[in-house]
Amino acid sequence: MARYIVKRFLLMIPTMIGVAALIFFMMRVVPGDIVELRMSGESGFASKEQIALERARFGLDRPLWRQFVEWMWGLARLDFGRSMWTGASIGSEIQLRFLLSLELAVLATSVAVLLAIPLGVIAALKQDTWVDYAVRIFSIAGIATPSFWLGIVLILGLLIIFKWLPPMVYTPPWVNPWQNLAQLIWPALAVGYRYSAVATRMTRSAMLEVLREDYIRTARAKGLWEKLILTRHALKNAMLPVLTVVGLEFAFLMGGLVVTEQVFNLNGLGLLFVQSVAHRDYTLTQALVLLVAAIFIIVNFLMDLMYAWLDPRIRY
Amino acid sequence: MRHANRWWLLSVAAVAFMTLVGAAGSALAQDKPRYGGELQFVVPSEPPSYDAHREETFGVTHPMSPHYNTLLRVDPFDKTGTKPVADLAESWTIAKDGMVYTFKLRQGVKFHDGTPMTSRDVKASYDKIIFPPPGVGSSRKSAYRAVEVVEAPDAQTIRFRLKWPESSFLLNLASPWNWIYKADILAKDMRWYEKNVMGTGPFLFVEHVKGSHWVGKKNPDYWDKGKPYLDGYRATFISSSSAQVAAVRGERAHIQFRGFAPADRDSLVSALGNKITVQESPWDCILMVAMNHSKKPFDDKRVRRALSLALDRYEGSKALSKIAIVKEVAGIQVPGTPWATPPDELAKLAGYGRDINASRAEAKRLLKEAGVEGLSFTFKNRGIPQPYEPTGIWLIDQWRQVGITAKQEIIEASAYHPMLKRGDFEVAMDFQCGFIVEPDLDLPRFLSDSDANYGKSSDKVLDDLFVKQARATDPEERKKYLRAFEKRLLDEEVHTFMTLQWHRIIPHSSKVKGWTVTPSHYLNNMLDTVWLSE
Repeated sequence: MARYIVKRFLLMIPTMIGVAALIFFMMRVVPGDIVELRMSGESGFASKEQIALERARFGLDRPLWRQFVEWMWGLARLDFGRSMWTGASIGSEIQLRFLLSLELAVLATSVAVLLAIPLGVIAALKQDTWVDYAVRIFSIAGIATPSFWLGIVLILGLLIIFKWLPPMVYTPPWVNPWQNLAQLIWPALAVGYRYSAVATRMTRSAMLEVLREDYIRTARAKGLWEKLILTRHALKNAMLPVLTVVGLEFAFLMGGLVVTEQVFNLNGLGLLFVQSVAHRDYTLTQALVLLVAAIFIIVNFLMDLMYAWLDPRIRY
Repeated sequence: MRHANRWWLLSVAAVAFMTLVGAAGSALAQDKPRYGGELQFVVPSEPPSYDAHREETFGVTHPMSPHYNTLLRVDPFDKTGTKPVADLAESWTIAKDGMVYTFKLRQGVKFHDGTPMTSRDVKASYDKIIFPPPGVGSSRKSAYRAVEVVEAPDAQTIRFRLKWPESSFLLNLASPWNWIYKADILAKDMRWYEKNVMGTGPFLFVEHVKGSHWVGKKNPDYWDKGKPYLDGYRATFISSSSAQVAAVRGERAHIQFRGFAPADRDSLVSALGNKITVQESPWDCILMVAMNHSKKPFDDKRVRRALSLALDRYEGSKALSKIAIVKEVAGIQVPGTPWATPPDELAKLAGYGRDINASRAEAKRLLKEAGVEGLSFTFKNRGIPQPYEPTGIWLIDQWRQVGITAKQEIIEASAYHPMLKRGDFEVAMDFQCGFIVEPDLDLPRFLSDSDANYGKSSDKVLDDLFVKQARATDPEERKKYLRAFEKRLLDEEVHTFMTLQWHRIIPHSSKVKGWTVTPSHYLNNMLDTVWLSE
């Protein structure tokens, strides 16, 4: 197991280098750069001299290979550089938003898991009854409804019915847990619903499959208590594909909630991501892509470990 | 009986008098600024750095102007946004030949760290703007080409010596970007202000949480005694327009100072009724059509003129102003401002006539004469919904009325400028936003040597007219040159042409008082005159 963990960590290095190289060159293929955007954005005019000065300041006048080598050398020293747009260190830009994104991802995952597992199990147990149909309608509607649309509906509902809006500024949970929850619960519900819909369907189909397995029949034939069969034998085994979905969605939530964050005005990594791309903030975009890639790799790794715990037959 | 009538009349008169007095008193009480409260506003953009001398976005001026003063400012109650008034300067004199401007500074002005502000600070700030050292960016350096030197003969006097007289110079010193920085700080680090705040303004800096908000609190030692009225302000950065509207509608924000779309205004008014006050103004931003003079047939002024003649600007204004942030029919200056062309004169220019059928018949004749009947081309437009997309669709429809087929190609916003600069277009949407309506600031882009002359027109007559108007010290003489410039640009040569002026719509909480909309969203953000009625 230890060998497997070390191997997985070592594999992260070439993956990250590949991601880094890919994003570095992809960003530069896109027309327009940060200097053009910054200097010509609103007034529609900037002198050539001014643009050349700024380009030199950001090092964008140097050959591409040199820019890449310098950036990679920085990465090797864990120096991600500074945001080209704000001038602040990349670390501080990410640190500011990381907690909010993590908290939202955890809350949305909790909403999803709390809805999906009971609903999926019930639907499987009551297959082809009205309960199953109701759960299926609920989950199909969740998959078909974009989170941002549900977010807008939630906001308008709160505004029109209760004349109330969630707070617009993030308050950490240790400062004011109530205010924190008042802000984050709505996007968590909007995102968690869609997320739960996917997980519900996965739980239902995995449960149906497992419930038809020989070992379940054997357990029932032995006269084992039904509740025990379901929780210890069926659910635990059915959780493997559900865990994959939950893990991947969690990783996605860490940087992918672009529109939902805009709708709820959340200062998270998703919004930072889209702003950095829109501003052609090369250094920040590169760092964010690396961060999201690292999150995916780590989440995948943790899921592999959980597979082994859920199914003792799996060995690394 | 007669007695009774007289008493009745007297009673009515007394009641009416008391009502009038009461109403006047109540109106006066309403207009008397109230102290206290925190103004909450939304900013759709965020400051890239804290240095206004180098930045170009309202994301800097909206949250940060309250920390600073400028030498002069634009009168915060002037709806045209063109009247310079004193800020740090108390008074000024202009030499008869217009070559020397001398300003007396206020006494007792202090930076937020308690140190006094003197002419040394003003000189250091203007030297940074006009003569930046190598490696230091200054976005408005070219606006002060006329300045030869800035002098500080004594602690309370600052003097600008010019190379040539410039009629717009005084107004240019009221630029909302020219914050006065502290000389000692600049002497140590010219770029200190990119990441720090230290001004003399009505509000002290409290915090900036990136991506979230900016907070300022009242400066108790502000030099303008009795101001500011607010205890503080909180600017929240919200990029999504639906979230901005929701913030105002949910009374989480009093105002957003840039502007909303007509539909947003209507939804806010219908939801909040008299809790919302709407202020509107022509906006110092305009969409123009650039025609590439190096590509045929746009080197032919008959074709360019036909493109402008095809537009029914007056009907377009009625239709588009319902769905987009455009409205006024304008020439080279914002309507209602001092140098704008009166509507009757404007109607004499190509494409501004009231008889659209005659204009379009003329357009067809010109196209035929130029041998390009059934002309078709690609029209490049910027990938931003407001107001580019509706205006682009309108243009295509108008051109179709004279037999022109234009295929619209939308270019992603960030790639748009490089495309214009490369000249990689036949006909494209061009745009300009100014911070003060002033010909010297607005017109240089049309000159032959300008980097922003994307159509690459070359016209020495036009260049000469620009210089003449800039140096004309008599307003009437200047107007004459400006009219000639406009006629040359939009009628005789049609190097480019205007679509419609943007229209600024600010629906804000009725609690917000002491703020007046101007044509520029870069102006009037110091908040020293703003107060909350409850």
